[in-house]
Amino acid sequence: MSDLDRAIAQLRACRPIPEAEVRELCHKARELLIEEGNVVTVTAPVTICGDIHGQFHDLMELFRVGGDVPDTNYLFMGDFVDRGFYSLESFLLLLCLKVRYPDRMTLIRGNHESRQITTVYGFYDECLRKYGSANVWRYCCDVFDYLALGAIVLGASNTLSPSGDGEAQGSEEDIEIEVCNADGQIMSQFPRQPRGAGNSINRQPPRGRSPNGPTRLPTNTGPPGSGASGSSGGSIGNPAGAVLCVHGGLSPLIDMVDKIRLLDRKQEVPHEGAMCDLLWSDPDEIDGWGLSPRGAGFLFGADIVKVFNYKNDLSLIARAHQLVMEGFKEMFDTSIVTVWSAPNYCYRCGNVAALLELSEDEGGLGIFARSNGDVNRSDGGLIGGGSGVPGSGPRGVLMENDLASLKPGPARRYRVFQAAPQDSRGMPAKKPVADYFL
Amino acid sequence: MSAVELGYLDDPFAALFAQPQPHPYPHPQQQHPAAGPGPAALRRLPIINRGTYARTAAIDRLVTQFLADTASADGSSGGFRQIVSLGAGTDTRSLRLFSSSPPFSSTSSPCFNAGIIYHEIDFPAICARKLRAVRAAPQLRAILSEPETSSATITSQQEGQNAAPPEWWTSRGPGGSELWCHGLDLRALALAHQQRAEQPGDDNNANSSLIRGLRADLPTLLLSECCLCYLSAADAGAVVGWFGARISPAAGLGLVLYEAVHPDDAFGRMMVSNLAARGLRMPTLDVFRTGADQERRLRAAGFDEARQLTVDAVWERWVAPAEKERVDGLEGLDELEEWNLLASHYIVAWGWRGSRFRLVEP
Repeated sequence: MSDLDRAIAQLRACRPIPEAEVRELCHKARELLIEEGNVVTVTAPVTICGDIHGQFHDLMELFRVGGDVPDTNYLFMGDFVDRGFYSLESFLLLLCLKVRYPDRMTLIRGNHESRQITTVYGFYDECLRKYGSANVWRYCCDVFDYLALGAIVLGASNTLSPSGDGEAQGSEEDIEIEVCNADGQIMSQFPRQPRGAGNSINRQPPRGRSPNGPTRLPTNTGPPGSGASGSSGGSIGNPAGAVLCVHGGLSPLIDMVDKIRLLDRKQEVPHEGAMCDLLWSDPDEIDGWGLSPRGAGFLFGADIVKVFNYKNDLSLIARAHQLVMEGFKEMFDTSIVTVWSAPNYCYRCGNVAALLELSEDEGGLGIFARSNGDVNRSDGGLIGGGSGVPGSGPRGVLMENDLASLKPGPARRYRVFQAAPQDSRGMPAKKPVADYFL
Repeated sequence: MSAVELGYLDDPFAALFAQPQPHPYPHPQQQHPAAGPGPAALRRLPIINRGTYARTAAIDRLVTQFLADTASADGSSGGFRQIVSLGAGTDTRSLRLFSSSPPFSSTSSPCFNAGIIYHEIDFPAICARKLRAVRAAPQLRAILSEPETSSATITSQQEGQNAAPPEWWTSRGPGGSELWCHGLDLRALALAHQQRAEQPGDDNNANSSLIRGLRADLPTLLLSECCLCYLSAADAGAVVGWFGARISPAAGLGLVLYEAVHPDDAFGRMMVSNLAARGLRMPTLDVFRTGADQERRLRAAGFDEARQLTVDAVWERWVAPAEKERVDGLEGLDELEEWNLLASHYIVAWGWRGSRFRLVEP
């Protein structure tokens, strides 16, 4: 067993590894991360996760629900540390897995992967407590500076892969959204509705879990969605459109994904500017941009997301950063989703967590055209959405019929899970104390 | 203490009563053989510090209004008024008032913080500990006279050795103010009130001795910051009833409650379960589950008017923009969702009777 495998085993048992090993691990991780661009390209299938916040036992639960590494290809959208009591073990385990299986583990930076924030919110204190010095905290912070700022998921399918519980669901081709519980049982399904058809802009997507259980609505009116082609938008290229993953959200300084690639990311998270915004901003029910009550980043409205997705040929933005009691929340006609993966956040909030699975497109793989792209992604509608190829007019002005031609989102399976049971898998007998206003 | 050290609150007295706090993290040695000893100082998270700030600001504001309304000497009560803090613990509001510390320094009326009879009630051990702290702090002599105690023979040298804690101690403050600390289980008041209801008669003597120095003729404000919630609803009601029966209707009586609400949603259920795991139960939470319940409770207890505000609403409405900016600048609060969730589960509810003072929302 290699040193790395031994470290993984030790961390899986929630035991910190010695300082010298941390140092070596962080060194290796940095060498790996320095080769990654600011925006990492990931191909589906992939399982996208939100904030972890040092809730180690819940991270173990996440791996149980989502599958283990390297069997499952993971993308974590930051905020590994702070708040929970096991930031160290959680982050080092993820980092070990990254070094061990670099192609199966993508880590991007959250606003808590910062020197300043970790001194206030717990990770610094935890390192001091567990090692007696700030060395390990320093090694980790040096790694934070090299984490990518975002990821682009390509090759996601319009249809869901079988969910794995063997339950016969008939044709799954037209299911756009499926919500499963921690045991893989389907809690609700939502059929795909035509995005390209006339009035579809006002389509109301499900928000959170449907109270109605499995739902099937007739969906015969749109573009092909019931066939076996697995694509309602044509059969070439990247049928479902790419998915941008980022911890916080958009920035008024970034109108194209390529502009993220130009940032100098290898630094502490600045207090303002594009890099700060990507890690701090939140979608909100406003028009345009707004000031963020967090004091960093911005609020951005549906119009901003739709224009950004259109210009960048994205079908969806996946982000984390905000606690959602239901674990995930789709907004703005499913153009953006928040994924939250820390159940019972801070051992106090009573929320469930979720992870988002995008399955692999079986049909059109191999021809990603511009989509293989860390370059020229912005080059416009070479590979349009089949029936709804956008006009060749000037980009940046979003016409009504352009909106209608927004790429259809990939089929999405959310697995919703709860906090790890207290008495399982070596949880400490003493429950962490959640603080209240007493 | 955390909120004071980090600059949220200006409280020169908090350090005098600070005691070692249990660390919020599990003890490292229990799980990590490699772990070393951690830092001793307990620093709470920004969300908790902001909560402490908002709750203190809310109650200070209501106390300020009470004092402003009752400050004008109209002869009938000589400008005196009374505050009773239930389960006062190591609270320093009395000292901040007597020393005109912020926010009690910013008022225009010169009589604002004169003539305050301030009673603190808590368990005998806590009352005794506060006495020791006051005696051991020479800087307090500027605002408090040398304490007198119920047991005059007990000196500071002797009391360390198995001496029974004093039933009460008292100290004179500036401007005719008095501080009284009573080592008393509130359930004794509840019992006395219940017995009085069963056997109406002249029991004034027995009742008077329960809280020495309490004046029935003064406008009185009762404060309960997470105190009555630990009693049964019946006992909590009887404690308020005891004061309601003693304080003259003409004098006016007010009650300020700070308690948890909404035990029924996901956050509330987790809160109840987490606190139960720490051995903390709040029986009144089962009965008064919402802000509206709290208003009904106050009206049922004989208060003419009742108001309530959650802590997040306190922050939004009662904290001035400049002050919000100052407080947010101290550490930053990174997560609004969590703040809204936590702060909406705590409430300040208050009521008053009579026309001597009004606690309308400022």
